[in-house]
Amino acid sequence: MELSDWELVQRCQEGEVAAFQELVARYHRKVFMVVLGILNHREDAMDVTQETFFRAYRNIKGFKGGSAFYTWLYRIAVNLSIDFQRRQKRAPVEFKETMDDLIDKGEGTELANHPFTDLQSKELGERLLAAIDELTPDHKAVIVMRAIEGLSYRDIGHILGCSEGTVMSRLHYARKKLQEKLGPYL
Amino acid sequence: MNLLENPLRLTLLFSLWLLLLSGSIDAAEKGQQGVQLNIGTILASNESDDFDAKLSKMNNQLEVIKYSSYRLIKEESQKAPWNGNAAFEIPGGRTLTVIPQEYRNNRLSLKVRLQEGEKPLLDTTVRIRNRGNFLLGGPPHEGGVLILSISATTQ
Amino acid sequence: MKIDCEAIKSSLGAWLDGELSHPEAEQIRVHVQECPACFGEKEQLERLQASLKGALEARASRLAFEPFWDGVHRRILEKSPWRERLWDWVRPAIYPQRLAWAIPVVIVFLLGIISLEQFFPGWRWGSSRSNATTVDSIDGHGLNVAVFRESKTKTTVIWLFENQEDEDESSGESAPTDSSF
Repeated sequence: MELSDWELVQRCQEGEVAAFQELVARYHRKVFMVVLGILNHREDAMDVTQETFFRAYRNIKGFKGGSAFYTWLYRIAVNLSIDFQRRQKRAPVEFKETMDDLIDKGEGTELANHPFTDLQSKELGERLLAAIDELTPDHKAVIVMRAIEGLSYRDIGHILGCSEGTVMSRLHYARKKLQEKLGPYL
Repeated sequence: MNLLENPLRLTLLFSLWLLLLSGSIDAAEKGQQGVQLNIGTILASNESDDFDAKLSKMNNQLEVIKYSSYRLIKEESQKAPWNGNAAFEIPGGRTLTVIPQEYRNNRLSLKVRLQEGEKPLLDTTVRIRNRGNFLLGGPPHEGGVLILSISATTQ
Repeated sequence: MKIDCEAIKSSLGAWLDGELSHPEAEQIRVHVQECPACFGEKEQLERLQASLKGALEARASRLAFEPFWDGVHRRILEKSPWRERLWDWVRPAIYPQRLAWAIPVVIVFLLGIISLEQFFPGWRWGSSRSNATTVDSIDGHGLNVAVFRESKTKTTVIWLFENQEDEDESSGESAPTDSSF
């Protein structure tokens, strides 16, 4: 029977690294997507995502279950991403290059089969991520978390430390900006 | 994390804070290398209604003395070490000698002597607030009286 | 009642996200069905959402677990610098999370106030800030002396009276040496 997140956390708090490994397995991809959405750079996103789990492990004893584990995890991820971005201004990597590189290397097998790899979608994705990169970190965070996870405004507010009203207005602003930039492509 | 669950941590931080505090107090006491003394010599008289603008900050203090005119004749500053002399020339052949004795509870203890030539006029020991002042008045001068504003600040 | 399309558009995102109350959501649903412009707007938002999710999923899909876990595990096994470990140990004590923290915080605050004077000499609470001077001893050497206090600033005034009748030094009388006023 699959253990709940809280049961795994309790085992981690007792020092069981295998329990933590299970938590990483459950959330690594989702956290990576959130971080990637904010940083728009694969290597940086990998680094920050690994750091997120490392910090979670180091502070696991401080997690008392007051919120859902994933909320706590995303909070670490978003804070680290925003801090990282502030420290390191980096020009966004062209999505197109990365995709082509992957396919050329033969590592893009999964991608080739992914429904999103047809040319039109690829181009839209490229433009979308570039457009998101022009938003502020706070706006990026809300739009990415909502898109990927379908998190409620309440959960997003808990993660970002703001009210539901603020989440709603940031989402509205971010979507409006993206529509303005990408209108013809949508 | 509830700090009460970790009294060792609380105790350690508290002790560290107290140590820093005691260090700062100690440093503050030892850091007092002497006293900065400021003497303002004021001529008060009833010969006019003029009030020297330089004395505006002392308006309230001088009100009680009930002269109609006040003029700042001179201002002088000296640094005096603890238990060391600082002598100030006062008009009319007078000398004011101030000896800072100690600093305790934000009060500076000063020994003050006013003399005319070699003749002592007044000896007093006062405790004034750090950066505070008191007035010593009465010696006659040029149709009025002299008022000395004596202030002290620890260095 | 004609519903303003601008007002609807501003709530479309929240409606798609399922964050509106039932009456509001119903009102928007009905309007969107009937209004081509708002319907188009809704579809655009849905495409935006789906495209973003798809783009990020595509990028994340090649994230293999094993090498990722190796990276995390390596960080766990590597010793943190002693400064980081010390900070981790100290940090929960600095960031209060429970009301129980109020006790030590209040104690530290009070001690801080008491020690404030070490950093701001002359600073005192309330009435101690008066300019009152204590006269511990006074000797007029035969002259009359008065000590009084100015009421507004509490400044002490020592007044020396040059008594002309008192030129006779043989009187032997000296002004009283008073204890502190």
